[in-house]
Amino acid sequence: MSGRIAAAAVAAIAIALVLAQDVFPSTPLYHSWQYAFALAIALVVMGAYVNGARRGHDGVAGRRLIVAIAGAAIVTIAGLAAGLLGPDTAQVVGTPGTVTPIPALGAAAFFAPADAATIAGGAAGVVLRRRGAREVALGPPSRDVLGESLVYLTPRPAAYLDVYDEHGAHLTVTQPSNASFLSPVLLFPDHQRIGALDVPLDTFAAPARHRVVHALYFSTRDLARFDHAGARFDASRPGLILSAADDRGQPLGITLASSGKDVEIAGLRVRAALGSYPALEIASAPPTWALALGIALFVAGCGWSMMRAQGG
Amino acid sequence: MNRLLLIVAVMFLSGCYNAPDPGGAASGGPGGLAGAPAQSFDLRRTDGRSDSLARYRGSVVLLNLWATWCTPCQAEMPALERFSRENAGKVVVLGVDQGESAPVAAAFARERGVTFPILVDEHQQYGRTYEGIGLPTSVIVGRDGRVVRGIDGAMTIEQMRVAVAPALADSASRAAAR
Repeated sequence: MSGRIAAAAVAAIAIALVLAQDVFPSTPLYHSWQYAFALAIALVVMGAYVNGARRGHDGVAGRRLIVAIAGAAIVTIAGLAAGLLGPDTAQVVGTPGTVTPIPALGAAAFFAPADAATIAGGAAGVVLRRRGAREVALGPPSRDVLGESLVYLTPRPAAYLDVYDEHGAHLTVTQPSNASFLSPVLLFPDHQRIGALDVPLDTFAAPARHRVVHALYFSTRDLARFDHAGARFDASRPGLILSAADDRGQPLGITLASSGKDVEIAGLRVRAALGSYPALEIASAPPTWALALGIALFVAGCGWSMMRAQGG
Repeated sequence: MNRLLLIVAVMFLSGCYNAPDPGGAASGGPGGLAGAPAQSFDLRRTDGRSDSLARYRGSVVLLNLWATWCTPCQAEMPALERFSRENAGKVVVLGVDQGESAPVAAAFARERGVTFPILVDEHQQYGRTYEGIGLPTSVIVGRDGRVVRGIDGAMTIEQMRVAVAPALADSASRAAAR
């Protein structure tokens, strides 16, 4: 009896470990030897129990539990294979309106164009297109499984910039340090450590006015930490700390720009719509059919085993 | 507010921010777009009329992304104008000003005697989509609406002729096949 409970417990733990790949994807643990070792140990324990139960060492209930153990083994092997053979976790950051090939999926990711309202609302999505296969449209909360990969979106801080000169003429925004040179959307690929805060950082230029501007993204939570009596900024919306310099790196000023509000800095009028734009996350995941079949067998087997045990 | 700005100012001035990671966003530049469907956005021209790349479907198009402050763009503009006149009826030259206001782009075009249509792309939609890694950026679009070639940097008129030749030859061979 105690052996049966132990085997069922080990099987349940193995299933939980594999389900974690779906529930908490993108964790490096799943590709570690420790994770694979734990699942392998579970398989050995389950195999040992099945070997005895098959010979009648645990009675009829033990034989019935073999069905549950088989289900757990299917899930465990699928999880082991996904962890060992599945693709490493990857994050693809695409500029709005561009297409990025993803060889690991045999697909191209179409990152939706985004205007200021889309960035502020965090509503942009990504469409995955593959030859001869269905198109997968991912919105911010959705996820999908493509082969052995789980694909989903994670929001990253983003800012849509409108920059004007002193006469109100719109200015070109460039990002000389990023691959998306001609995009007015900052995606903050870098971080700046400020005290206990890890603040997203990006840089843009207004070449017509020979200005280079560093931008630090402060969420409302970050801003609230700095809130104190006499504060003049609006901490209810995210903001950018803008630090401007000329072409030669000569500092020309620093200011805080609340989302959607115009600020003047170094002869520029800057309006930033702050929000988020998704990055595409690709993580290994066991096939859905294996999880469904395995868990169904496990539940049915456990139930059957208990019924038999209660019945006789 | 002052405390926050002071801290950030010190961090910036001490130069201790991370160097930007050029690989932070995936992009292959305009050269990687060959064969892809050419994206189009409806915009205003410098003369106020509505226009888009899609309107020229069926023609070979040389799409040129530029801005008034861009020195290589200024240098390339006379060659573009000459190329446009030389290839009238065969190739459409479509300029797309990146990020600037219509009056600024219109004044520049007027001063330089530019006669080909110029779209005013204040929100840099074409620049983003065609993955320009600098200005000027030129994209050759075939009659079928697909990108034939993306070129980064200013071109001479000879280079423009060479660049559009495959698209024109493809069109000619299709016509002959018919």
